[in-house]
Amino acid sequence: MNPHAKLITTASLILGTTITITSNHWAMAWTGLEINTIAIIPMISKSHHPRAIEATIKYFLVQAAASASILFSSLINAWSTGQWDITQLTNPTSCLLLTAAIAMKLGLVPFHFWFPEVLQGSSLTTALLLSTAMKFPPITILLLTSNSLNPPLLTLMAVASAALGGWTGLNQTQLRKILAFSSISHLGWMTVIIIYAPKLTLLTFLLYTLLTSAIFLSLNTSHTTKLSTLMTSWTKTPMLNATLMLILLSLAGLPPFIGFLPKWLIIQELTKQEMTSTALTLALLSLLSLFFYLRLAYSSSITLPPNSTNQTKHWYTNKNANPLIAILTSLSILLLPLSPLILPTI
Amino acid sequence: MTYFMLFLGLCFVLGGLAVASNPSPYYGVVGLVLASVVGCGWLLSLGISFVALVLFMVYLGGMLVVFVYSVALAADPFPETWGDWRVLGYGVGLVGVLVAGVVVSGVGEYMKLGVWTVDSGGAVFVRLDFSGVAMFYSWGVGMFLVAGWGLLLTLFVVLELVRGLSCGAIRAV
Repeated sequence: MNPHAKLITTASLILGTTITITSNHWAMAWTGLEINTIAIIPMISKSHHPRAIEATIKYFLVQAAASASILFSSLINAWSTGQWDITQLTNPTSCLLLTAAIAMKLGLVPFHFWFPEVLQGSSLTTALLLSTAMKFPPITILLLTSNSLNPPLLTLMAVASAALGGWTGLNQTQLRKILAFSSISHLGWMTVIIIYAPKLTLLTFLLYTLLTSAIFLSLNTSHTTKLSTLMTSWTKTPMLNATLMLILLSLAGLPPFIGFLPKWLIIQELTKQEMTSTALTLALLSLLSLFFYLRLAYSSSITLPPNSTNQTKHWYTNKNANPLIAILTSLSILLLPLSPLILPTI
Repeated sequence: MTYFMLFLGLCFVLGGLAVASNPSPYYGVVGLVLASVVGCGWLLSLGISFVALVLFMVYLGGMLVVFVYSVALAADPFPETWGDWRVLGYGVGLVGVLVAGVVVSGVGEYMKLGVWTVDSGGAVFVRLDFSGVAMFYSWGVGMFLVAGWGLLLTLFVVLELVRGLSCGAIRAV
């Protein structure tokens, strides 16, 4: 992309995110969300491929509708209470509309249909931005308004997200779509607990960002976008494939890794709130996503692909791996013993 | 006066309908013009004449005119006209959605389809909207800069999307 355009879009993404997360007036929160939406459009459509253009259009329409709904909900609240404070949202219609609007922004079921297609149409680094950085402002708004959200709707959407994220991800072979469904199901886990313990939502989001960034950056090093390419990518980056397997198991929520911590704490908090059936349902539904994480882990680390490879390892050493991969991978795999240090700080 | 305000509100919705059901951007712009003229009328009824004037001049006279000229430059020689079956379909569908919304939200019974007009009086020596705009340049300068950057960003993004002629983003659609 043109360097000037890249500078403008990157600076506007940082500006929009900062405005939303530091705002206490609804107008500023909305402005930041709109700036983010507009600024990421050139990045999604960067490759000028028809699929990328379609992804751009879908992203823009859904996010614009969601931002408008957020604005309407704050307007209804301002009309009935006379104030625009984000934490003081009290009108019941506003609360319901805001819950639905944030669900649209994040990609919770039933507003999740755009997310896999948008991720599939964008490059791996743009998909990383869409899954992590662009989720940050709506999660912040959720945290600020956690007292004002509608509990039955939110719990319903959360459990449905865990269910559909798992089930629809089972039949996918494209890695970006699989990661989109994994994002949807993690968002389900994040939103089920927000009314009872918002700090756990923040913890889940930060750890999810860490793990997803590690995965996307590792995939970006070997330019793998589908399952069949993943099976033969061990010849290009053998060490990275081994660590990718471990990061995927961490994302699935398996115990020796950090991905277990948020699920553990959320189940504990849900049982404390007498919602044991919800906790059981969520835990069982995450088994579905475990299946496709295991399939990905198997594909990345197995050394016998269906086709024959000519040599065991490629001779060229031109691997432009992002230095962040080392840091993020180490954190993703080894952070669990440090959870007593993490918990008081969030 | 109440009935006039109600009529303006109806025209606003019809203008929105015209934008959404347009067979071609030229006729969608007609809907936009109607909607913004009528929106101006609503703002005047609330008493904020300066903002209404700004809406008229900047939105209609600036942005809409620029849009019409740029669409005319990138024109297709044989646009669809109003006499097309798709327009009827869109119109019927959108009116149906609107009626369903009014019925579901219960606004019809709650507000008794009445209209309140509000005065913007008070103990200030200038009108409220004038002093509001003045605030934009003094205490509200942060929001002003952010809003200005947002609009400039939209321009840059649109330019980035349409540049490239036959190898840019538009050729793929």
